[in-house]
Amino acid sequence: MPEPTPMEIPTIQVACTVNGEAFTRDVPVDMPLLEFLRDVLGLTGTKGACLEGECGSCTVLVDGETINSCLMLAAQANNRNITTIEGLASGAELDVIQDSFVATGAAQCGYCTPGLIMSARALLNDRPDISETELLTALEGNICRCTGYASIIEAVKRAHRESQSS
Amino acid sequence: MTFEQALELRSELGADATVINGGTDVVVAMNHGAIKPTCFLDLSRIKAIRKIDRENGHLILGAGATFAQLGKLHVRALREASLSVGGPAIRNMGTIGGNIATASPAGDGCVALLALGADVQLASKDRGQRWMPLVDYFIDYRKTALADDELIQAVRIPNNPRSRWYKIGKRGAVNISLVCCAVSQNEDKKTKLAFGCVGPIPKITPKASALLNGETLSPGLIDDVANLVAQEVSPIDDQRGSAVYRRAMCSTLTRRLLTQLMEDAPKGDADA
Repeated sequence: MPEPTPMEIPTIQVACTVNGEAFTRDVPVDMPLLEFLRDVLGLTGTKGACLEGECGSCTVLVDGETINSCLMLAAQANNRNITTIEGLASGAELDVIQDSFVATGAAQCGYCTPGLIMSARALLNDRPDISETELLTALEGNICRCTGYASIIEAVKRAHRESQSS
Repeated sequence: MTFEQALELRSELGADATVINGGTDVVVAMNHGAIKPTCFLDLSRIKAIRKIDRENGHLILGAGATFAQLGKLHVRALREASLSVGGPAIRNMGTIGGNIATASPAGDGCVALLALGADVQLASKDRGQRWMPLVDYFIDYRKTALADDELIQAVRIPNNPRSRWYKIGKRGAVNISLVCCAVSQNEDKKTKLAFGCVGPIPKITPKASALLNGETLSPGLIDDVANLVAQEVSPIDDQRGSAVYRRAMCSTLTRRLLTQLMEDAPKGDADA
C-alpha cells in the first residue's frame, strides 16, 4: 500500500456493485481496489501479499474477468461489477469450487485460497469444457507458498466434474 | 470518456497527470513507494483504443488492447510473447500501449513488436497523429519519443509474417525475462531479430538483420548471424543473470528460432 503522505490526496466518488450489492463511497484517487474492498467495505476475504501482481492472492472478478485487485485503482472500478470470495456462497451453501477445496483438503495455511478459487471460478464460468492445460494456465498466476498444488488442482478438477454433472 | 477528450486532458495536464490503463506498471511503482501520483488520466474505459482492426494487410492494435486479447492473435511471436506476460489476471489488465509507454528493456510485447517491424501511432490534441517506427521510439533507458502532451493511440504490424518467440526466465509463469528473443520473416524473406534484457532498451540487431536480408536461411548463415548477434548486444550483470550468460543465450536463441523458421519454410508455413 502507498504510505500516507502529507500531500493532499484528492478524493473521487466510486459507485460500484460488489457481490450484487451497490456501494457508493468517496475514496482517495490513489487507493487500490484491494484496499477499498478490505478497509472501506470490510470484505477481508480478498488477501494482499506481493502488491505487484506476482502472487494472485488479491484476485477478484471485475465484470467477470480475473484481475489483481492490488493493481487496479478503486476509482477504476466505478460502474463496474465486482465479485469477491464473499460473493460465491449462497448463505450456508458453498460454491461448488469452495466445496471441492474442502472435500480435497486443498488448503494448508489458506492464504492463497480465495485468489485461487476466484481464478477457478472465472475459468469455470467461461468454459464448460476445459483441458488440463487450460486448467493449469488459468491458475498460473496464483502462487501457493505451502506448495499444495496437487490437491488444489484436484479440487478444481472435481469442481469442474461436479458442475458438469449437475 | 473518448480518446479525443483524453487528448485534451493530456494537453492540459501534461506530466502532472499519471497516465494509467491496466495499472500493472503504474500501481506496482505506487505500491513500492517509487511514485506518489495525486492526479491520474485513466484510459481504461476508452473502448475505441481497445480494438484490433485489419487494414491493408496490417493489423492495427489499439493501445488499450490487453495481453489477453493479443494472446488470441495469429501472429505467433506476438501471441506467444503476450501469453508469457504475468498470469491470466495480469494479461486481462496489462495493455500493449502500456508496455510501450513503460519502455522496459524486459518488455516482452515490445520485443515481439520490434521483430515484427511495428510502427507506433502517437497522438496529441495540438499536433494530431504521427506514425513512427517503434525502433525509433525507444531512445534510452525508459526514455522515449512520447511527448508530455501525447498519448499512444495504436500499433501497426504486418498481418501475416512468419515469426517465432522465446523467453528465458526462472520459471514457467509470472516470469520476467532474463533474455527474450523474437524473429520474423515476411514474404520477401526480409528477416528481423529483436531482443529483450540485453541493453537499456528493447533492441534490434541491425547488422545481424542486414546479413539475413532476403537470403534463404541455411545452417551456415544462421551460425554467422548467431555469432554476429553476440557482438551486437550489450547486456549487463544483474540479480537475474550475468552478461556473459545473456550474451551466449542471444546466440542460442537466434540459432534456435531461425532454425525453426528455416525448417518450417518448405511446408508453406501458414501459422503466422
